[in-house]
Formats: sequence, structure tokens, C-alpha cells
Amino acid sequence: MILWATLGRRLVTAVPILCVVSVLLFTALRVLPVDPAAMSMPPNATKEEIEAARREMGLDRPLPEQYGLWLGRAMRGDFGRSIHHRRDAGALVRETLPGTIELALAAMAVSSVLGLGGGLLLFGLRERTMEPVAETVTTLMMSVPEFLWALLFIFVFGVALQAMPFTGRLDPGMKLPGLTGFLVLDAVLTGRLDILWSALVHLVLPAVALGLAFAPPIMRVLRASLIDTYHEDYIRQARLRGVSEGRILIRHALKNAVLPTLTLMGVQFGFLFGGSLLVEVIYSYPGMGNLMVDAVRNADLPIIQVVGLTYCVVVLVINSVVDGLYLVLNPRLRPR
Amino acid sequence: MTLLVARRLTVSTVLGGMRAPVIRGLDLSLAPGKMLGLVGESGAGKSMIGRAIAQVMPAGFAVTGGLLEFDGRDLVGMPAAARRSLLGRDIAFIPQEPLTALNPVLTVGAQMEEHFSHLGVNTRAERLARAIAALEAVHLRDAADLLARYPHQLSGGMCQRVLIAMAFASRPRLVIADEPTTALDVTIQARIVSLMAELQRRDGTAVLFITHDLRLAGRICDEVAVLYGGSVIEQGPARQVLETPLHPYTRCLQLANPALSGARRGLYALPDQMPGLRALAGMQGCHFAPRCPLAGDECRVRMPDLAGETRRVACWQPDLTAGIGAGPAPPAVGVRTSGVKLVEVRGLGKIFRTGSVFRRRQTRAVIDVDFDIAAGEFVAVVGESGSGKSTLGRLLMGLERPSSGTIRLDGRIVSVPGEAARRHRIRTAQMVFQDPQSALNPRRRVADIITAALEAAGADRATRAMRASALLAEMGLAPEIGGRTPSQLSGGQRQRVNIARAVCLVPKLLVADEIVSGLDVSIQAQLLALLQRLRRDHAFAMLFISHDLSVVRHLCDRVLVMYQGAIVEQGPVEQVFARPLHAYTRSLLAAA
Amino acid sequence: MIAPLRSARVVAGLLIVLLMLVCALGAPWLASHDPDEQDLVAMLLPAVWQQGGDWAHLLGTDGLGRDVASRLLYGARVAMLVAGTASLGAAVVGASLAYVAGYLGGWVDWVIGRAIDVWMSFPPVILSLILMTGLGTGARNVILAIVLVDWTRFCRVLRAEVIVTAHRDYVTAARLSGFSHVRTVLREIVPATVPLLVTVLTLEMGIAVVVEAILSFVGLGVKSSQIAWGQMIADGRDAVYQAPLALLAPVGAIFLAVAGFNLLGDGLRRSLDVRMVEGRE
Repeated sequence: MILWATLGRRLVTAVPILCVVSVLLFTALRVLPVDPAAMSMPPNATKEEIEAARREMGLDRPLPEQYGLWLGRAMRGDFGRSIHHRRDAGALVRETLPGTIELALAAMAVSSVLGLGGGLLLFGLRERTMEPVAETVTTLMMSVPEFLWALLFIFVFGVALQAMPFTGRLDPGMKLPGLTGFLVLDAVLTGRLDILWSALVHLVLPAVALGLAFAPPIMRVLRASLIDTYHEDYIRQARLRGVSEGRILIRHALKNAVLPTLTLMGVQFGFLFGGSLLVEVIYSYPGMGNLMVDAVRNADLPIIQVVGLTYCVVVLVINSVVDGLYLVLNPRLRPR
Repeated sequence: MTLLVARRLTVSTVLGGMRAPVIRGLDLSLAPGKMLGLVGESGAGKSMIGRAIAQVMPAGFAVTGGLLEFDGRDLVGMPAAARRSLLGRDIAFIPQEPLTALNPVLTVGAQMEEHFSHLGVNTRAERLARAIAALEAVHLRDAADLLARYPHQLSGGMCQRVLIAMAFASRPRLVIADEPTTALDVTIQARIVSLMAELQRRDGTAVLFITHDLRLAGRICDEVAVLYGGSVIEQGPARQVLETPLHPYTRCLQLANPALSGARRGLYALPDQMPGLRALAGMQGCHFAPRCPLAGDECRVRMPDLAGETRRVACWQPDLTAGIGAGPAPPAVGVRTSGVKLVEVRGLGKIFRTGSVFRRRQTRAVIDVDFDIAAGEFVAVVGESGSGKSTLGRLLMGLERPSSGTIRLDGRIVSVPGEAARRHRIRTAQMVFQDPQSALNPRRRVADIITAALEAAGADRATRAMRASALLAEMGLAPEIGGRTPSQLSGGQRQRVNIARAVCLVPKLLVADEIVSGLDVSIQAQLLALLQRLRRDHAFAMLFISHDLSVVRHLCDRVLVMYQGAIVEQGPVEQVFARPLHAYTRSLLAAA
Repeated sequence: MIAPLRSARVVAGLLIVLLMLVCALGAPWLASHDPDEQDLVAMLLPAVWQQGGDWAHLLGTDGLGRDVASRLLYGARVAMLVAGTASLGAAVVGASLAYVAGYLGGWVDWVIGRAIDVWMSFPPVILSLILMTGLGTGARNVILAIVLVDWTRFCRVLRAEVIVTAHRDYVTAARLSGFSHVRTVLREIVPATVPLLVTVLTLEMGIAVVVEAILSFVGLGVKSSQIAWGQMIADGRDAVYQAPLALLAPVGAIFLAVAGFNLLGDGLRRSLDVRMVEGRE
């Protein structure tokens, strides 16, 4: 009941945020030095032809009017046409989004497992001789951003060992009748185990590279909040009742310590979703990130706008889900 | 026949490479079904004894000598698994802070169920039935409904009842209660104490009652042991120790406590404070000697042993103790007050609005309050937490904006926004804060802190330095304290600095919010003496917010009793305390 | 101020950062070659310790025959310039807003809080790409973009700390002593937040190095005439089989620079006893 109320409230606040974001996006992109109308025309187009194109794209009207026009169309699902691809911008996003989400989910799984496991390991090492070593290793791991992991993995597993594929989502020549766009899901639904295997193998390097970059902060926060939790009175009181150490960790400490960790993971997953862009570029992974980078290089305004908004929507959804989860796990937020 | 025995028990930690004992050569024994009070000020090591029994000690602390036995079994050397099976079953603990001693993310039921499964109750239905029975035994209503609730949904008193229910659930032979009532309101304290006594009688449980309150221990325990610097300095039947103490320290503690009834008398203010671990580690002779009014040459050289049969005392000359007398009596009520109205409060109200746009909540913290304070008059505000007494002080200081009513300070209305009213208010009234830890900027030197008002007024360095040294002297602080930061001071010193800042420009009114609560009795007596001296020298008025009725009786002329935001009774302290009119005042007095 | 120097992390981090600064400032004297000089005879040379290596090119050459070691040194200039100025800029913007929001509270805090919400709903990489599209390439625009994206990091972390500090009684006491709001903030609140500010600033420098590398890698960073590590990676990717060092050397340089700032920041956090929620990118 309260869960739904919170999610509902979260969505209510998300709508104004989205509106503000779209206005900002629109304004930021209109101060662009390049002329998208000129970019969309063949190089030998005349001045008059470019002017006509500008009028047709609505670029000659005042900014608020342009925004109103764009918003009106966007409400009907029309996000304009890509200048570069000469296709419907919305359709391009629909084609690429599932791939990006698949990658991000896999990376989230990797970073959650590594982060929580590593956090427990670091906690277990507290006040031992190995602790400084382990902490220095985490600091150094934090110094490797996702695109460096991606490049290193290509170099080690792709080039040097030649053990893993590192381009695209599938082996060349494989084709799947697109159902949802989520390859793993589609392969399972159609019973194509060969495609499932290929998709999973192609997912490993990018997902691990992305997940690895976001695991160390989770490790640290879990360790720190476990240490904080162990200073709490209720842990001592449980000990004084004769509760075993294992039970104290799992039932009493982790349940509390996971809360600050979850808050951080919410923020991290937003960042991780953005980080997928670089990984996609490096692994030539056909997702929204590559679409975005192409669009940016070609000043493809309709694409930049819709992709930017889509990233926002996904982040807001992630945040809402994390908020809901936090509420479920933290009874203190429930009314007295 | 004894249940718990400690012989020459020593618990130490390591300080700067040196071993420093926290508990030294402690002898204790507790018979089944008896209640032993362990009394001492902070730093006496009283909590460490409970921790040593469970072997749940803070990092760096360990038993380094002596013997600690429960029912003939060595508690220190026993394997952890064996100790765990004793804990919660034969030995149970009741904590100091009930609100933080229950896990906030587990329901009361889940925690009680866990406890019963530790006790070996195998079926869930039986565990639940036992849990309900245990909650009913501590007089909690709607026990079944309570099981589904989370700790934050209960009051402090209810949490403590749940913890007591868990402690007595296994009918343990020993219960260790570490300041179980300190965090609770007075009226609830009394009920918790009588509940514990009831359960103890029912089960014939032995109780180790750890407290800083000599009077409380004397009232409820069979026997009392007084601790100082990690060892027992006096032990005996509770009433005897309380009424005719043999050790000078016990006698001084007794005299430092203001009385709630009988003739008003002066308080005995012991100098300084209990030495720290490091100082104690290198000390020769009786540990109390440096503060003892009777210390002779022998006391400073040789440490006396705890000697005697039923009354045991560690002192070379216990027969002199009775001769220690209290200080001079405080000035008679009303002597210093004049007819001039300094504070006039009319129809004052404060409503707090909380919650989001979706769910608005209103709390009426202060409701239609009227009172006056004459120049030079000490007026107390008493009431439980949540009664609005702190809000009243903050309203007076302009830290909250009133929702209704007016405040007139020294002839001028200050309950209006604006810089002029603020200037007038802070010239007339100053505040002493409750928690000196939070009230003193840890990054600034004491001399800068206490002359901040001069700095704001644009005084030069020399003026400020002069005022600082005068203030320090007035507060009874050594001149070099001015160069230190707050973290280098003791609790009592910090509170003096806190007071010094407020009196820097000699205001006409001091608002003091619980400024002696949480301090040891001997420090409290020192501060009360200081406040009386300051009053004599500067003739300022004070609004003294406190929950401690005996302190109020000792210090103040008039009292306002607050209950749920309203003043339910006001009048001269002696009159109100002797003949309370309102039912709530009567219950406060009965509980104290 | 001496205490942090006792931490091994702080010392190690400082040494690495100093090394980076020396490389950046001394590049014209330290470099053996003109970093843009193309030697088509000596393309894709391996490093000196590999077979066929040449002492003239310590780390070999790239696909256009440019000396990798020299380019690395020049690349440090952009990296350090961006790291220093962008994080300072973000700190100034973010910290000022944090003090205002945390101290005043009320609707000011609400507005700034909602602004942070809007910013946080954008993954930073996406936001900086969009900003760079609008601003155009160039080191100055990279710095501006980082400031515009990362002020939120300072604002979020500091605002929480300011709120905690502002609720301390000593801040109230300062007001009761007659201090003005501005003076109260400067005397009582700012000093309490300096350790946190310094720590976040140091960590932000590492982040700025990464962001600059990312933008240059995608081709939206500094002007193509300038040398940046991100660009070197993009160039080196094409010849990864023949001359892996052209790729690995700038990867290593970025890692070292970021590790230096992170070690320093981590060490400062411990020795200054700063509590903060961590997060990156």
C-alpha cells in the first residue's frame, strides 16, 4: 500500500523533472554552432534550398514555439526524423534500447555480486594484516574507469588470448527474428540455443568491464556500513542474548548495512547506464550508446534529443525502483 | 552460597604502550535472588564489569588477572560456545538505551522469536505463545499486536519493557541491568524499576544493578558496592551505606545530591573529577586521596584494602567520614528577586508543521503560555521530554518564531521579526546549551569561544584577551585552558566554558536547557555552586529548564510545570513541591 | 597540516601527482621528439625492450610514425590542465550553492535540491556529450562542460555536511553572540567542511582526467590539433595488433594519473577523518 503510494509520488515528481530536462535539452541544443539544416542537405545545395529546409524543420521560429511544436509531436510519439539515418528517430531508439538495457542489466548483476561479495570480504579482513593491502587494491580498482577495463579486456582476452569475441552482439551471420529486441530473451523464446550461447558470450566482456568499474564503491560502502552497524547497541544486545556471530552478521547486521549500500547503488546504476555508452562504442555493440555517439558526431538533433530523454527516463525508473526497494527493506520509513 | 563471584578481578586496556587497568583487584559476590547495586560515576568502571561477565568487551580490553565465576564455572576461560549457551538463558542483560538496543529492521516478534528459538523452543506456534506470555508478564497490552510492530513504532518505555520481557523470559538466574532507567522519563523510570523488582521476586533472580544514582540503588537494592577508579571502595547493606557512609567518597556523593524534601542545605562540591585511566595507572596510595577532604600522609602512600564483615570499606580512617559536612546553605528563596518584570510572556503558542504536501501534520508544542520572570529571579521549567519545555526556551531566545502570543523582554516586545528586536534580545538574554559537545566549535580555542560576543561587537584583541582571562578565573578554570580546544577539556570544564560564553557580556537573563543533566553528581554540584556564585555577583535572572526536581528545588525560586505544551501549574518551588495542585505535578513528585 | 603527510597513501598519491605535473610542465624539454612529427619510415616501431626496438623511440611509434613517449608527455599537459581547473571550477560553483542551500534551508534549499535532481537524472557521460555538442570542441569547453556537469557532486556531498554542521548548537550560539549570517557561515561552518571539500576536490581531479579522456576518445574533447591521451587511445585502437603499446601506454598513463588522485584523496579522507558517501563518474 505504502509502497505503491511512494512509487506513485516518485512518478509524480519524475514528470516535472522530465519536463525541465526536455526544456534544457532543447535549449542547449539550439545554441549549437552547426546548422542541422545545412547538415541534412547534400553539399551542393543552394542557400535557398537550405532556407527552405530550415523553414520545413521549424528552425526559423522563436525557441518557445519550436519547443511547443516538438512537445506536441513527441506526445503523439513522433520524435522527428534522423537527419543522418533519414529514418524515424523513435524507431531507431526502439531498435537500440533493448540491447543497451540488456548490457546494463548484466553489468548491474556483475557489479552487485562483486560489490556485495567484495564488501563482505573487506569487512572480514578488518583489523587484519591483509586489510591495508586489500584497501589499496580497491583504491587502485577505483582508478580504472569502465572504458579502460573494456580496452584492457579486448587486449587480453580478444587480441592476446583470442578467447572471447569482442564485437557486436552475435556471431557474424546469425540473425534472429526480433521479438522483443532482448537477444537473450528472444533466443530463449524461440528455443535457439546456439543464438543464446552466442549472445551470452558476446555479453561477457562488455558486461564485466562495465560492472567491474562500478563494484569498488559498493564494496567500500558495504564495508563501512557494516562496521558502523557493528557499533550499534542492538548488535551488542544480540551478542548478550547469546546469538551466534553468523546469525548476527546475516540477520542483524546485513539487513541494516545494506540500506546505505542500496542508496549508493541507486546512484551508481544511473552512472553505470551512462557508462554503457563508452563500452558500446569500444565493443561496437549495437545499442543506444553508439546511436548517440553517431548522432553527436553528425549533429543529428532529433536523435540526440530523443536519446537524451530516453536515458533520463531510464535513470528515473531505476531511481524509483531503488526507492521502492529501500522502502520495503527499511521499516523505519513506514508510519508509526 | 554465591552465584556470581569476582576475586581480585582486573580488566585492562593498553594506553600509549602501557597497560592501564580499568578494573583493579575487584572483589564481589552475589547470592541467588539478591539485588546488588554497583554505584559509581562515569569512568569508575561499573559498566565494564557487566561486559566482562559476558566477555563482550570493546576492542583492546581484556581480563588480565583474577577470577570471575558464575555458579562455580570460570566465565573467562570457558569456550565461546559454552558462554553463548549461558547468555540469554542463565545470564540476561537489560541495556541502558532501550530505543537503540532493538534491531530497527526486525519486528518485535521476529526478535522475540529468535530469542525463544535460542532458548530451544522448537515450534513457531509455541514461540509465539511464549512471546505473548512474556509481553503480558511485563504488563504490555495488546501483546499479539505488538509482535508485528517495529521498535521505532514503540516508546522508550515500551521498548524497555520488551527488553525486560526478553531478559526474564528464560527465568535466568542472573540479570545484569546497566543503567536501565537513565534514558527514560522520571514517571516511567519508577514503573520500570518496580517492574524489575516484581519479576525479580517472582523468579528469585539475582540482579546486578549498575547505576550512577546512589539514592536509587539504596532504595531498591539489598546490597550496594560503591566503585571509584576501578575498585570497590565501600560495600554493605544498601540502606546502611546510603544513610551512614563509611568512605569519604560515598559521604561526599551523598552530600552532593540535592534533597527533594526536608530542609534546604548546601551541596558538597568535590573538587576536580575522577582521574583518567592514565593518571590512575601511575598513582600511589588511595585513588581518592587527591580529592579527599580528610586525606592524610598515609593515604597518599599506601592503598587501603577493602576490609570488614557486613560493612566493608577501603579507607585508612573511616571513623572520620561522618565529620564531613555540607557547604553553606543556598540563599533563601526570593532574597535576590525584585519586583521589576524582566520577562513577560502572554498567550505564547508554537505549532510545528511537518510532513509533505501529501500528509500534513501539526504538533502543538507550546499552547497559550503566560508567565513572568522578575529581574534576578530563577524560574524553573519542569516536565517530561516532549512537554514543550525546550521549545519554550528556544522561543524566548528567538530560535523559533512564535505561532501566537508575545514575548516582552526588559520592556520591549521581541517576538517580532527584524534586526532591532534581535539586537535587543541577544543583549538582554543569552542561552546556555544542553550538550557542550555540540555547543562548542571543536576547531576554535576556548578563549575565542567565550569572547565571541565581543568579537561580534568589534572589540580589539587586547580587550578580548583581558575579558577571556577574567571569565576563565570567574568560572574557576585555569588560565591555560584559554589556549585549548574543547576536545582537550573534560565534561565539567566544557560546561563551564559553555556558561562563560553566555555571561561574557553579562546579560540580564540566562536561558539554561538541561545544563547539568548527564553530568556526574560531583560535577553537577560544582556547577550548581558556580551558578549560585554568578547569581550573587551579577544578579541575573534565569529560566532553568530541567527534568530533575531536586536540582530545581535546590536552585530555583519559582517553578513552571509543563505538560503536553501547556503550563499546568506554577508557583514558588517550596509551595508547589509541598502542596502540588495538579495531578501531573503530583505524579512527577511521586516518581522522583 | 603535517598529519596527512604521515599517511603512506597521501605520500604515494602526492608523488604520482607531482610526477604528472613535472611531465606536463616539462614536456617541451623532456620529450625526445616533436610529438606531431610523422616519420613514415619508422611506423609502428615496438618499444625499446622488444625485438626491433630503437633507443630513439623508448615506447615505439604509432601508425603515423609519431613517438609514443613524447606524445604521452604532451598529453599530460591537457590532462593536468583540465583536472586542475575543471575541478576547482566545479568546487567553487557546487560548494557555494551547498553553503547557501544547507545554511538557509527553506525554499532556496528546495530549488537547489530540485536542480540537483534534474542533473542527477542525466548520466554524466550523456550530459557532457550533449554539452560538448552545443559548445564545440576545445580544452576550454571541456573544462566548462565538466564544471557544468560535476558541480552537483560537490553540492550534494557538501550540502549534507553543511546541514549537519548548521544544526550544531555552536552555530546557533554564534548567531546569539551577534554574528551576521555571512560571518557565521564563514567562521563556524566553512572551516568544518574544508576537509571534506579538499577530499572531494582531489577525487574530482581524477574524475576530470577520465572525463577528458572519454570526450577526446569519442572525438568531442580537445581540438584535434592538441594531443590528448583519449585521442591516442582512439588512434592506437586501429593498430592494436601491430603496435599494442600505442594503445596500452595512454591507458597506463590515465590509470596512473587517476590512481595518484585517488590515493591522495583516499589518504586525505582517512587522515582528515572525513565521512562521505562514495561514488564515481
